[in-house]
Amino acid sequence: MISLKGQVLETLLSGGFICKTTDELSYQFLQNTENFADVEQQLNLMNRTITATSDEQVYFCAYQVIGDGERRAVAQQFRDVSSSLLPLVEWLVLVQEAKGDNSPLNEGKVVRLNELQSVIEDTPAFSEQLSKIARYNLFNSTSSAVDAQLKLVFKRLVDLGYLLKPNPDNQIYLATGKIDYLFEVIRFIDDSENLQLAEQAEEAIKQGDLL
Amino acid sequence: MSQSLHIAGVKFLKALAKHSDIIMQAYLSGRVNELDHNAATLDKLIELGVLWRPEPSEDLRLRSSIRSLLENNLRDERNRQLDANVGSKLAAIKTITSHYKEALHHQNYTESEVYMEDLTEQVYGLVDSLKSNVRNLWRRIHNEFGYVGSINAKIRENELAQSQLTDMRKQLEMFQFDELADIAGSSRELRRLLVVHLQRCHSEISQELSIAQSKLIDLLGKFREYLHRSQLLKGFVLHCQQKPDYQVKNYAELNTVPALFNQAQAILKPASIDVNNIEHEGLFADIVSHLKQVRHSKGNKNERGSQSFNVNDIEQVDIESDELKLTVEQYFCQVIDSGNRLSALEFHQQHELELDQEEWIYGVINGFQGLSLEEQDFFEVGTSGHVHPLFNGNYIIEDVELGLR
Repeated sequence: MISLKGQVLETLLSGGFICKTTDELSYQFLQNTENFADVEQQLNLMNRTITATSDEQVYFCAYQVIGDGERRAVAQQFRDVSSSLLPLVEWLVLVQEAKGDNSPLNEGKVVRLNELQSVIEDTPAFSEQLSKIARYNLFNSTSSAVDAQLKLVFKRLVDLGYLLKPNPDNQIYLATGKIDYLFEVIRFIDDSENLQLAEQAEEAIKQGDLL
Repeated sequence: MSQSLHIAGVKFLKALAKHSDIIMQAYLSGRVNELDHNAATLDKLIELGVLWRPEPSEDLRLRSSIRSLLENNLRDERNRQLDANVGSKLAAIKTITSHYKEALHHQNYTESEVYMEDLTEQVYGLVDSLKSNVRNLWRRIHNEFGYVGSINAKIRENELAQSQLTDMRKQLEMFQFDELADIAGSSRELRRLLVVHLQRCHSEISQELSIAQSKLIDLLGKFREYLHRSQLLKGFVLHCQQKPDYQVKNYAELNTVPALFNQAQAILKPASIDVNNIEHEGLFADIVSHLKQVRHSKGNKNERGSQSFNVNDIEQVDIESDELKLTVEQYFCQVIDSGNRLSALEFHQQHELELDQEEWIYGVINGFQGLSLEEQDFFEVGTSGHVHPLFNGNYIIEDVELGLR
């Protein structure tokens, strides 16, 4: 049997994200400073290190020193992240609006596919938005039915690690810490490129109010 | 006097019970539709102080005392007022204490007892109202201001609760226990009420309030975070709509890659199976038993397809004559031509054949046996040899002699 430490190492080395929702035991394990240092030492052997998002909700594996080969890998990862940013953001907005929530999805939140589907099917604006999202390369759906589009999108998101399906028989999904990672990425881009995204949104809402 | 008060109170409560429908309707909708009800009933309720008319042209409304009674009892979320007028209540307490002390001084014990009762009621009432205010705050915190929809409204509600909380803390500062202790003097009863009881409640409530305050600030932070996240998402979508050619700057090319984008590649691949591992034998057997045999007919379609074939007579096959056969034929011919007997070994020597002698003799016997019966009749074969020295019944042929009949 694999030990908890082995499990943590395996997840990190296979490019996985560790958060409370995906693997609570591993997450608790890393919360312990001693264990953390231990795992870190093992990873350092392979020029790797543990990184966490700023609020320490998600752990993942990063390079310790970035040489030419590592830079290529990092560039590839970055291309993947940046190309999937817009589809994912649009999906998050759709889910938030369809659920009528005050806040977007974050780690541990529950999404019930059936509820979402009935809302989207009843609201033409939502279904239009969904078919736009599903056509992105990230999801690459060719179907025109809401049901098939939604299932494909959710399946892809589970594959990519943004969602978790605790029970294979139920269409109930949990958002993982990778979603929080996504927010961090957007926040980072916003800050470093000075896009003032929040102000833009507020401005647009105000203008909408005036109209 | 208390008898008449008792009767009046019971009558009032009975009236409330009797007209509970109207009262609840007024409580829920805020006003009473006068056309729906009997004018005499409404008049009676106005007389009892349950309903009132704020302006001549306005509808009838519920009196605030009845409303707050219901709100308190039903733990209604709409009740967001905190009654924190501690100052006036403290003043009332001090006044009654003076009455009590004066009565005691004049040795008017019956009167002093009434004042004591009144004082107890006032003190407990004060404590109760403070406690219910704290409960009210907590109730709102617990359901995260669920009674309002938008996140902005929640933030406003949170701010209201915080300002109320600050007010309450200010009011609590009005408790001056040294003054209360002075007033209580040496009276045991008064000290118990004014100092011990009030002090305990005071510390309890201020502790609760400080926890509530930190919780409120937490919640406010959470709401702001939600709001910020929603705005980030919407802002990003808007930004991409307004600038369709927007590309995220390539942070991976920077000299120092931001920690967020420094993601190591996955290096672990599934391990291979070890068929020699006895522990895994059961598992492998299980996997194998679940394998489905899939036969792909790719590539050998021609073999599986139908073939045409001839049903004609098989052509005569010419067995290619080898050297041995040719030599055997030559030997036979020589016997026929000469008409003399000739042993196989003599022929072998005459022609200095390279064949092995034994092989040659076999070849000759074979050649003779291979002839048809009719042809065999033309020849006579004699074998020369000896009996095996050990195993009887075995005859070892050393030479063959062939002649014509």
